[in-house]
Amino acid sequence: MIGVSLSRWTMSYFAAALGALLAAELLMMTGYGYPAAGLRAPETLVLVHIVAIGWLSLLMCGALFQFLPVLVNRPLASNSLPLPALICLLAGLAALVLGFVQLAGQIDPSPSLLPFGGFLLGVGFALVLGNLVRTLLSASERPLPARFVAIGLPCLAATVMLGIIFTLTLGGATTLGPMFALTGTGLPVHAIAGLGGWLTFTAMGVSYRLLAMFMLAPDAERTTSKATLHLGTAALAIAIVMGVVTILSGADLWPVLLIALALGVAALVLYGVDVVHLYRARKRRVIELNSRMAALGLASLAASVALLVVLVALGRLGDQIGALVFLVAFGWLSGLGLSQLYKIVAFLTWLECYGPVLGKAPTPRVQDLVVEGRATKWFVLYFVSVWAGTAALLAGAPVLFRVAAGAMFVGTCGLVVQLVRTRRLADVNAEQMLPQGAQRPRLLYSLSNSG
Amino acid sequence: MTTQLAELDVRPTLRNGGEPFQEIMEAIGALEPGQGLRLLATFKPVPLFSVLGSKGFEHEEREIGGGDWEVLFRPTGSAPGEESPAAAAASDGADWPAPVRHLDNLDLDPPEPMVRILAATEEMNDGEVLSALVCREPLFLLPELAKRGHAWRGGFEPDGQAYKILVRIGAAADPALSAASGSRSA
Repeated sequence: MIGVSLSRWTMSYFAAALGALLAAELLMMTGYGYPAAGLRAPETLVLVHIVAIGWLSLLMCGALFQFLPVLVNRPLASNSLPLPALICLLAGLAALVLGFVQLAGQIDPSPSLLPFGGFLLGVGFALVLGNLVRTLLSASERPLPARFVAIGLPCLAATVMLGIIFTLTLGGATTLGPMFALTGTGLPVHAIAGLGGWLTFTAMGVSYRLLAMFMLAPDAERTTSKATLHLGTAALAIAIVMGVVTILSGADLWPVLLIALALGVAALVLYGVDVVHLYRARKRRVIELNSRMAALGLASLAASVALLVVLVALGRLGDQIGALVFLVAFGWLSGLGLSQLYKIVAFLTWLECYGPVLGKAPTPRVQDLVVEGRATKWFVLYFVSVWAGTAALLAGAPVLFRVAAGAMFVGTCGLVVQLVRTRRLADVNAEQMLPQGAQRPRLLYSLSNSG
Repeated sequence: MTTQLAELDVRPTLRNGGEPFQEIMEAIGALEPGQGLRLLATFKPVPLFSVLGSKGFEHEEREIGGGDWEVLFRPTGSAPGEESPAAAAASDGADWPAPVRHLDNLDLDPPEPMVRILAATEEMNDGEVLSALVCREPLFLLPELAKRGHAWRGGFEPDGQAYKILVRIGAAADPALSAASGSRSA
């Protein structure tokens, strides 16, 4: 029993991630990428990677640097490596985005920046993975949420490796047959490994602990939770491992993906059962805003699953995949992410500032760092516009989609202002704000509290 | 006895003026069931004997020359295992005085349990013991206890629903209390 200190660079990851989210929303609002451009158009790839790497992956990395140690009760292997990793990831994302812009023909296409971006992202994610895997391996026991993370991390590795292969092929750095085959048909595997394995599966695992913790619900390892882990792992292994083998052997990928989808949907249904149980079995009757808003993110996941099943049944998955991915990325992953960010930033800021003086001087409560009433309206605006945006994509109404993206941008701005106010202690009573011995938190990084 | 032994040499850490306690506890945490630890140190690490004794290890030490010591920690048959650290905490009561304050923090929202425990420790005297029930291992509390020089022990109650932590005021900072209690440990 060693305890957990503050992760130094988590706030930097959160800040960079929110910057990427705002940038993506602005691009969608101006009509950049899908649906104005095609699904595989370079402009859409720019947008997708700003969201998947810049926003969602950086958010997840920052959160894991702080919470993986909590899940396994071991200190993070390195509290300093996350900074060089972040620099590599941001530089790599910039090069990748510029590489796609080259493909779109808007800037000089030679030399291609794609392989360069792939390389930098590879280094950055390798630094992240090395740190998290070492932390996982140092644990003497791995509770269920940590086992979800342990599956999510190799999925990230697979996503990055496929991505690097794509950048080498598209950047003209290789002409090997298998690389061409993977680039030609491997996109679904790359997307499933990233959105499904790395982001969704890891978020599910972490949500088991966070929801239980914030709602005082029992976090016993239920049979359904273990079944979710096993079914989800099987689905991902089939989609990624068998998917790659199938592509390389030249066979049809769709049957493999269909089996993986069936298992994945079963896992998600069981996860839904668990989540409903967590909300029902909670000891805390009045739950805080983060848990109420997380429910909207979880509802978006349920809607995504329903939409997926309906589209597959109607044979319309191919032409509506954009709407589905949009709902998964912004309703489920971003919705859950923003809702938890709202609590995590407040809690970590409180711990950093007031932890050293607790019991020695009057201190505010965590909830005194936030004003839930103000944040509620931005959350509601965000979720309603995401759902409207999904409907607009399904209905083929690009102008309505841009309006919805604009409303998402406004909602996100509102939430970012709340997060900055929390970090700055702007809503804390002046007389309680900085007791003797307390230190004002910095906006973008944390001072370690390990003595 | 043919216990399989992992090896940990903390002499470099000690010679560099470092504190090897966490390194040792991590090595202990990483042991397989039934596995023991061969520890090399620059002095006879007496405080460790009771710490690891409470975690179910018997010890056998010998001087290996140059003032260095080799200690073999082997799991004892009747030892409280990882499954029941609460039992370990209870048996520790033998060398820690009975708690003078009890807190039931089971129904409090996080981080209120941490707030109440730290507030209580500020009102207590050196050497006194606080007992608190919380609903999960209070991981963010521990670095703060360490910084304030308190020792702690803890474990889940047998029903797995509550975690009991004992905090001994000033015991990590005061060598006299530390020798008696065996410093901070799980």
